[in-house]
Amino acid sequence: MTVSTTSTALVPPGLVVAPHLPDLLLPVAIRRGVLGFLRNHPTVAIGGALLLCLVLVGIFAPFLGTVDPTALAPAKRTRAPSADFWFGTDMLGRDIYSRVLYGARVSLTVGLSVAALASLAGLAIGLVSGFVRWADGIVMRFMDGLMSIPPILLAVALMALTRGSVGNVILAITVAEIPRVSRLVRSVVLSLREQPYVDAAVASGTRTPMIILRHILPNTLAPMLVQATYICASAMIVESILSFIGAGTPPTIPSWGNIMAEGRALWQVKPYIVFFPAAFLSVTVLAVNLLGDGLRDALDPRMAKGL
Amino acid sequence: MDRRTVLKGLAGAGSLAVTGGLSMPALSQGAAARTLRFVPQANLANFDPVWGTQYVVRNAAALVWDTLYGIDATLQPQRQMVLSEEVSDDGLIWTFRLRPGLKFHDGEPVLSKDVVASLARWSARDPMGLMLRAIQNELTAVDDKTFKWSLKAPYPKMLLALAKNNSPCSFIMPERIAQTDPFKQIPDYIGSGPMKFAKSEWVPGAKAVFEKFTDYTPRQEKASWLAGGKQMLVDRVEWVVIPDPATAAAALQNGEVDWWESPIPDLVPTLKKNRNIGVDIADPLGNIGAFRMNHLHPPFNDVKARRAVLMALSQEDYMRAVVGDDTALWKPLPGFFTPDTPLYTEEGGEILKGKRDFDAAKKLLAESGYSGQPVTCIVAQDQPITKAQGDVTADLLKRLGMNVDFVATDWGTVGSRRAQKTPPGQGGWQMFHSWHAGADCINPAAYTAIRANGDKAWFGWPTSPAVEKEVTNWFDAKSLDDEKAAVGRLNRAALEDVVYAPTGFFLTYTAWRKNIAGIAKGPLPFFWGVSKTA
Amino acid sequence: MVSYILRRVLSTVPVMAIVALFVFSLLYIAPGDPAAVIAGDQASPADVERIREGLGLDRPFLVQFGTWLWRILHGDLGTSIFTNLPVSALIAQRIEPTLSLMVLTLVLTILVAVPLGVVAAWKAGSWVDRTIMAFAVFAFSLPVFVVGYVLAYVFALQLDWLPVQGYTPLAEGFWPWLQNLILPALALGCVYIALIARITRASMLEVLQQDYIRTARAKGLDQRSILFVHALKNAAVPIITVIGIGVALLIGGAVVTESVFAIPGLGRLTIDAILRRDYPVIQGIVLMFSFLYVLVNLMVDVTYTLVDPRIRY
Repeated sequence: MTVSTTSTALVPPGLVVAPHLPDLLLPVAIRRGVLGFLRNHPTVAIGGALLLCLVLVGIFAPFLGTVDPTALAPAKRTRAPSADFWFGTDMLGRDIYSRVLYGARVSLTVGLSVAALASLAGLAIGLVSGFVRWADGIVMRFMDGLMSIPPILLAVALMALTRGSVGNVILAITVAEIPRVSRLVRSVVLSLREQPYVDAAVASGTRTPMIILRHILPNTLAPMLVQATYICASAMIVESILSFIGAGTPPTIPSWGNIMAEGRALWQVKPYIVFFPAAFLSVTVLAVNLLGDGLRDALDPRMAKGL
Repeated sequence: MDRRTVLKGLAGAGSLAVTGGLSMPALSQGAAARTLRFVPQANLANFDPVWGTQYVVRNAAALVWDTLYGIDATLQPQRQMVLSEEVSDDGLIWTFRLRPGLKFHDGEPVLSKDVVASLARWSARDPMGLMLRAIQNELTAVDDKTFKWSLKAPYPKMLLALAKNNSPCSFIMPERIAQTDPFKQIPDYIGSGPMKFAKSEWVPGAKAVFEKFTDYTPRQEKASWLAGGKQMLVDRVEWVVIPDPATAAAALQNGEVDWWESPIPDLVPTLKKNRNIGVDIADPLGNIGAFRMNHLHPPFNDVKARRAVLMALSQEDYMRAVVGDDTALWKPLPGFFTPDTPLYTEEGGEILKGKRDFDAAKKLLAESGYSGQPVTCIVAQDQPITKAQGDVTADLLKRLGMNVDFVATDWGTVGSRRAQKTPPGQGGWQMFHSWHAGADCINPAAYTAIRANGDKAWFGWPTSPAVEKEVTNWFDAKSLDDEKAAVGRLNRAALEDVVYAPTGFFLTYTAWRKNIAGIAKGPLPFFWGVSKTA
Repeated sequence: MVSYILRRVLSTVPVMAIVALFVFSLLYIAPGDPAAVIAGDQASPADVERIREGLGLDRPFLVQFGTWLWRILHGDLGTSIFTNLPVSALIAQRIEPTLSLMVLTLVLTILVAVPLGVVAAWKAGSWVDRTIMAFAVFAFSLPVFVVGYVLAYVFALQLDWLPVQGYTPLAEGFWPWLQNLILPALALGCVYIALIARITRASMLEVLQQDYIRTARAKGLDQRSILFVHALKNAAVPIITVIGIGVALLIGGAVVTESVFAIPGLGRLTIDAILRRDYPVIQGIVLMFSFLYVLVNLMVDVTYTLVDPRIRY
């Protein structure tokens, strides 16, 4: 093995020593493990850390200096932020700081559940549709039909059928998002289906599930993951819109959406009621998007050299 | 000239070159000064004041149709379309003569047959009208300008029935339109009032346009509420529906609208600070907040449970939640009748006064046999008044140790669910919230919510023979003192049996730009006598 | 291709039928009674029942569905329960504002977002990229009504450059029409611009790594032609998909924007109809929306083939 060395130490005779070459390639520290992965992809790290923070805030809300978020005190309504009420009080005298912290639970639950459920369902449907040609037409028409029913109508109808609840909100938004994921997956599958390596796999007798797993899935994963982050973010925002028209989570359960909806009439005079949940929502969506972007960059083998 | 006009001018000049035509809207500066832009309290989705009894429909209808009598600011019925009336000595035959010169918007004169048909349609839907129908012999047109109503029993409140401002009012429509089934909508909006409805410009839910009816002959007296001479001082009234309060406030501040019927109390300080905007109490008769308990099913079928809730109820909490921090906007209400009216009484109202005693309330609740079963509370989220009250109630019941099943839904669902008499576990309910215009609670005449005749009563179906007895006494009363006595006893009985729970009396504001003059306080917005300077 | 289009058009019929049945059933089951709302607060249960009969709401499900379907096939979308006006007239009245808003937003978005995404992908990793993406993320995370309020407050109330609310038909002049739509289009477009910019960037990044781009560069083609002629066309498929899908976002957002800026459009009509249980209007609008979607999706699928010749049907 030739070793390049700058040592001027005496060498034993007979040992071939190559002349010293300047360092052309700086040593690349190969970072391994989870920590290494995170250091390689700072966006994943930042996004993930932020999201984790917010999840923890939601879980540990009772211990972070909060009071009962539904406790009314109409005598103390619409007070500005102060030492007693860090974020002020709303129109019924409830502490906004507590409501925002507890609201993290609902908004995050809605966002993450919808993203997960819609992605899984959409993936399955998109794969079937892209691969099984005779099913493509029927499935896509059904998805078209589903997509054309405004999610708001679905949510209001569901809410009217039973009552306003977190479960119904999740269901309504998920159903509305599934067609979009399935369309995206299908479009990617359609492009990939024509690729030579897929043809080759089919020619060499690989069974369809294996093809899907080995070739199609890894290629759909990246755009789907990005889409999933969008869905998570947009689900949280759709939840706030549903609350805006009164079809969202009931007021007994604070969510960022319904805190904003309740405070929207007053935002010119008491902006803090809308500002704090809006800020938290923005930060959370930012975190989710950073996470998605970072993961996308990390998972795409062609991007492994990193930005 | 403000910035926007300058920009508009520049842009207009610019786009003249592009479009080769005028870019300014059709109205000239002069015409704009004769148009009043008004933001109503709600959507005007339909326009039949007998078929649909919402307040906003009545408010619009008051512009388009005239009434035989009109109530004035002293709460007395005054002649409007009627020239004179006579009642026979036994009180059984009422003869009315119409004013000369009354015309419909299509140019046809108003004749008795139109009146007869209109009254027949109105009395099929109105509570007082139904009472008249029950004792009616016949309602006929004697000649073109005279009509007669003969009854089997005297009805001293006849003029009040024809003058009252609570829905439905006895608007006079052409005969062919009035012959529409009272449970179906009228097809046409030809009216007898000072303004015509521009149906071609109507965008339901967004805009409604009324134009001055030049052939209207107003009375000579000064206008006062629905009575007197209805002089229109503007040529055109546009109702612009703006559902978002923040946008409506901005539009008023910007001069894009002239008059906002119900600004929300929290935005009023900003409006008051604006030099171009005037703000005042809209209607001294205000509103009464309410929630109703279901008398048919446990726990509220036991009067002790109902009284326990009244004992714990804090009207201050409710009122602050509904109208905010301005203490001039609300009053505690230990009864059911509108403050500052002749029949106002606090008799029997001790339960609502004084410091709230939760311990005694809890004890009373336990005595009623309440053992923790869920209490289904249906709350409409899209009405700010019911939404605010609903939140306070949830808190109240929780502090009383009750198990609350809070059903957040919309006004439409509340409307249909509250009609269910089934037990709560099977689609019924135990509590819902509402409110009543103070003008409807002056006396028992049209006060459906105070009646306690079991199945025929309003939702909640309270039964209280004492209350019903006093209602009859009031109808038969011959003097004001008799009326007051009856109402006092009625109040006491209604509180003892808790017909419903009044959450307080509250007022609302109205706001207008200072170039508008002549806005009068009253139970509905009156457009006559309102003028606009450019 | 033509046969494909024909097949697609024919297949819309069963889709719409499914949608129609679904919507009709949902409304039928959902509680909340238009008759109760119409009758008003003071009405008795008997009154409400009479009104229901007058509206034909007491007949059995299949009869109601059948009648409705029969009328649709004759082009009659029914009559609104509340306003007594034909549903088609109501829709015709309100379609111009919504369409104007959507078209303006779409144009604005594509003009702004696609170049932004392309530039971000081209300068990937630089501060330009990070700024654009940061802005995109920020814009995406704000709810439409917050953006709307802020815009209205700053530009309409404080600066007085534009009106706060309302809509002026195009017939009354181009500038008045535009004036009323600028702020709503910006508010609505915020989210859309962010979405399209990000998808454009992501898709372009994928494409820019390809060998044929390297070849083009090696061939000495200038940057602009590489970006827009070679790269963008190949990156277009997911972008077009998302634009098509985004039309759905627009309709959802339009509801809120129309409420905030008091624009008399279809979004508000739908919400009002839902809250009042004005069944014929809801059904008519949903049918119309579904037709619109099918059309848009057809256009998206056809555009795929134009842009990516590998996609065949």
